[in-house]
Amino acid sequence: MDREQEKLQLKQHIIKYLNLLHVTPEEITDDMPMFREGLGLDSIDSIEMVVMMEREYGLKIENPKDGRKILHNINSMMEFIEQGRAKLNSQ
Amino acid sequence: MFYIHQSSCISHQPTFTGVDLQNLQPSVNNQLPAIEPKYINIPLGQLRRMGRALRMGVGTGITLLEKHKADGILIATSNGGIEDSITFLNQIVDYNEGRLTPTHFVQSTFNAIAGLLGMITHNTGYNATHVHRGLAFENVALDVTMLLRENPGHIYLIGGVDEISVRNYRMEAMAGWYKKEPISNTELYASETEGALPGEGAAMFLVSNNAESATAKLADLKLLHTADENLVANQFAEFVRDREIDLLLSGESGDSRFKRYYTRCEQAVSENTAIARYKHFTGEFQTASALALWFSCWLLQNQTLPEHCIKRSGSKTAFNRIALYNNYQGVQHSFMLVESV
Repeated sequence: MDREQEKLQLKQHIIKYLNLLHVTPEEITDDMPMFREGLGLDSIDSIEMVVMMEREYGLKIENPKDGRKILHNINSMMEFIEQGRAKLNSQ
Repeated sequence: MFYIHQSSCISHQPTFTGVDLQNLQPSVNNQLPAIEPKYINIPLGQLRRMGRALRMGVGTGITLLEKHKADGILIATSNGGIEDSITFLNQIVDYNEGRLTPTHFVQSTFNAIAGLLGMITHNTGYNATHVHRGLAFENVALDVTMLLRENPGHIYLIGGVDEISVRNYRMEAMAGWYKKEPISNTELYASETEGALPGEGAAMFLVSNNAESATAKLADLKLLHTADENLVANQFAEFVRDREIDLLLSGESGDSRFKRYYTRCEQAVSENTAIARYKHFTGEFQTASALALWFSCWLLQNQTLPEHCIKRSGSKTAFNRIALYNNYQGVQHSFMLVESV
């Protein structure tokens, strides 16, 4: 799966976990902020996304302060996923 | 008891906007699912997290609370957001008590409907949820009656909500509560088998002890927990004695096991009294009596009994006093008396 396909899958997971029935993956751009302006998500959604990261990618966001940066947009989440995978592979 | 000023209802018939009770909507695969409207008054961010019961309850309640400020919210629900409850319980097993998301848990608690209505409309008054299965709504009516005695002049939102849950339906079907054979709601009352057609919906009312601008009055209410047919018949005869009942609204559900209770109650009213039924368009569920009360209010206002509801026409030319009898699973019985104002 190439990076673009990975991004598409991540967007599909977000739509499924947050039940964003009125949003399509194409409408979520890579640099669109997840919270407030942009997708307009809130604090409950951030917990849902933390759980999504664990269930779908096996990655834990240990420090809540990091969560704000990691879950900022699709690009930052992809970076976190790739770094997490690299760590897991090197172990 | 109390006066009813405004009401709102979601059911298997179009009852939320543009009420149409004349054209009976057919049942769908032995069920009577509610026709859900577009919930334009629920914030989108909250709407996407809600299950059916929450959407129906908040959607009907908020419609009334937008127009009138209430001093409290009292909701009846036997199961609350049970589909979300089961989803959450399954996740506990699937993820070995870890990696659980908050949404399904938060939305599945019984008091989520009353709580969300309070939060969305910034209503910080009395907020309660009654969960007494087939008498949940009747207990709300009792509670609000006592509140109005303590606080004359207050206005309360009361209502009943329950949903058809896919997984709970399977369990209740296995317990024998629903028809096994394919059957349409048009032939429900001719059925001689056990079980009913499951339904769902929500009905909400703004009530007070002020008759001014009221549309109807809940004049009396009685609750019974018994399987004794004679006791039910005697109590109902006592309930309607010396009262000129224009219409008996029967909660007959097509379940052959409970028909005898309804037959005995029908014998307690005069032959001039009309008899009508509603479970063929609401379906059977624990808070269906809330929808029956909504239907009574509608009948008192419109004075038109839909043809498909009539069991006996009677000889009354107007409906001013309606007696309701509902029976849930043969052990929870309620009588309500609804009058025009």
